[in-house]
Amino acid sequence: MDGMFFALLGASIATALAGIGSAKGVGGAAQAAMGVLSEDSSQFGKMLVLTLLPGTQGLYGFIVGFLILVSCGVLGGSAPTLAQGLCFLGASLAIGLGGLFSGIAQGKAAVSGIAMSAKDSKNFSKGMVSVTLVEIYALLAFIVSLLVVIQIPNLAI
Amino acid sequence: MKTVRIVALRQDRKRLLEHLQDSALVQIKRVEKSRSGFERVDMSRPMQVFERNVTLTEQALKILDSVSPEKGGMLASLKGRREVDPDEIGEIAAKSSEVISICKRLAELDKKRSDNSAERTRIATQLVQLEAWQKLDIPLNTTETKSTAVFVGTFPEQYSEAALKEAIAAENPKLEFVTEIDHSEEAMTCAVIFVPQSQRTMAEDVLRTLGFARPMGATSKIPKVKSERLREKSERLRLENEMAEDEIKSLVPRRSDIKITQDYFRIRADKYNVINNLDHSKHVFIIEGFVPEDDCEKLKELCERVATCTVDFEDAGDDAPVKLKNNKFAEPAQGILTMYSPPGKGDLDPTPLLAFFFYFFFGMMFSDAGYGLLMVIVIGIALKVFKPDKKMRNNLKLFQYCGISTTVWGLVFGSIFGDAPASLYNYFAGTTDMTMAKLLPWPTLDPQKDALLLMVISIAFGLVHILVGMGCKFVVCFREKDYAAAFFDTGLWMLLLIGLAVLAAGMFLAPVLVTVGAVIAIGCAVGLVLTQGRGKKGIVGKAIGGLASLYDVTSYISDLLSYSRLLALGLTTGVMAQVFNMLATMMGKSVVGFIFMVIIFIAGHLINIGLNALGSYVHTMRLQYVEMFSKFYEGGGKEFEPFSLQSKYIKIQEDNK
Repeated sequence: MDGMFFALLGASIATALAGIGSAKGVGGAAQAAMGVLSEDSSQFGKMLVLTLLPGTQGLYGFIVGFLILVSCGVLGGSAPTLAQGLCFLGASLAIGLGGLFSGIAQGKAAVSGIAMSAKDSKNFSKGMVSVTLVEIYALLAFIVSLLVVIQIPNLAI
Repeated sequence: MKTVRIVALRQDRKRLLEHLQDSALVQIKRVEKSRSGFERVDMSRPMQVFERNVTLTEQALKILDSVSPEKGGMLASLKGRREVDPDEIGEIAAKSSEVISICKRLAELDKKRSDNSAERTRIATQLVQLEAWQKLDIPLNTTETKSTAVFVGTFPEQYSEAALKEAIAAENPKLEFVTEIDHSEEAMTCAVIFVPQSQRTMAEDVLRTLGFARPMGATSKIPKVKSERLREKSERLRLENEMAEDEIKSLVPRRSDIKITQDYFRIRADKYNVINNLDHSKHVFIIEGFVPEDDCEKLKELCERVATCTVDFEDAGDDAPVKLKNNKFAEPAQGILTMYSPPGKGDLDPTPLLAFFFYFFFGMMFSDAGYGLLMVIVIGIALKVFKPDKKMRNNLKLFQYCGISTTVWGLVFGSIFGDAPASLYNYFAGTTDMTMAKLLPWPTLDPQKDALLLMVISIAFGLVHILVGMGCKFVVCFREKDYAAAFFDTGLWMLLLIGLAVLAAGMFLAPVLVTVGAVIAIGCAVGLVLTQGRGKKGIVGKAIGGLASLYDVTSYISDLLSYSRLLALGLTTGVMAQVFNMLATMMGKSVVGFIFMVIIFIAGHLINIGLNALGSYVHTMRLQYVEMFSKFYEGGGKEFEPFSLQSKYIKIQEDNK
């Protein structure tokens, strides 16, 4: 038995969980932004930026998922051994869980940022900076997943 | 910064203030109460007039925008203010009352337009109500003739003529009547009923039980005629609206005049606002304010040229505002500094250091030669085409310098739009083994392969960054002659960190360095234990204070580890670019595949630029604010905000008189 199933499970976890986090984050932020836009549609650009900030987690998850597919024989590479498949699964948990929770947390911060810059658009840059600070934790999770995933095909296990 | 006091004759007030406003040399102090022997001049009435004019022009511009939106969109915000010759101001002033009357006319037209629209909606509802009565040839409000009572109205049910007759007869068989149905639909019948005057009350009772109601807003005109009139009126209103719109459109070319006039009144309102706060005696008035040291001579010369006055300078106290002054390289970073806080009393101006590290770290995080070049070129074009104002220009310049650094780091990391050159080579040549390392003639540092090395390098840069911050603290303490703080609190820690760094380096390079580093570190630690408790009382207190201070080492370690984000963001940019390249070339070599590749390539890299430029910007800022500024920077100063032309659309050309 090879590790294909576990590798694909890993790809799904990375993409889906991180995607859920981003979807919740962006969804909440978009609701708040639309409330603001109904009053003042000229703020669209700023609102768009704040709304999109929690969207990166999904992208990170997708990249990890994609790299797994590329190296496990679906879109290239060769079928992984059982141990390698389990490694893929393990590696994907970092961005999956990290993306899920950081996306939700960042979405909440984005909602507050939107409320703040709706009151006074001078506050926009401060709001943006504060919201982006959450990003680093998704990024760290992504880096861990990534470094493992690109090394797995070279592991002799 | 100096304080300045200008005492001048009242007759020169207008001229002097105008020149001060144009030159933007002085920040005028606001004092709540006037000194004894002087009084304030109340200028609030003309100020109100000016402010009302500003609002009027703002409204007028909005109305014009509703008819013909201004072109330019997002990019228009980059555009600098239009330059106006000083001599043109007189012309603008002369034209201003005409422009204001245009604005008033615009407001009038707009009001008429909305009134007419509301009226037309009302007419439309009326017409719908009348629709059912089109067959009726007597006025709706007819109630009687000499011999008959007439009931015009509706029943809440659908009746045919026979059914209605039956229903009425069923209620009261004695009633004599003639009826005519004009319109009937589900749950409504419009009918006229004639009865003899003598049976009027009887008829009223019957009809009431059947739910009869006279129509709302009945008129003395025959419905058909009334409808016709209403239609005519509606048409007339529509035409009026069209004319109003045409007139508004014909005024669109005056947009720039309105903008200029708005600025003219805004500037005048500012000036009167200042006059409100000045002390006046019978013949003279006093201006007090702050002026940068370099501008003192210029100010004195200017004042004496335009007015009969005396100008005195004095050293400013602690409450003086700060004006940052930097060379071309560092100036763009001033915005980053003031976003944190302008330097307070005793602070160094850290802008040059900030600028260098900002460019350096941003480049390391964004790290792609293709993106960097793109930034440099696009911003270069924007600067040339739009000629933005100073603030916007500085912001753009900041990113241009960052772009240069990004390009350099991109070349070091071997990343040009990710691995685009290699993957395009593979795509067209049909090979699979071309890599950036083979393609580039210089040795590259691949963040994916040498992640650990890059992590060490990142933290080493962090160490340098922190040491520079502590160096600033050292200088500040030294300047304030607080030698103990300079050498013990800052110097020892710096040496300790260097010692630890040497020790760490020695573990990989040479055992000798381990000993050297350890000796330095232990020496400094002993020094810290001996000196850090010096503020405490008693031997025990001093010892505990000294030992406790060593605990600070944890905060330095967490600061240093924070620099691993340099690696993280750098790696992300490269990997995301590579993934997009991989996606782009996935469809293979065909026409469809080629089109797919171009689209994915452009869209993917745009997404990557957007995401990672923002991330790099924010995290670079964080490294400056949290890791570096916490070591020495107090902030809390106030920015120098000179009395100047606060205009939105125009700026006055500097005259070299």
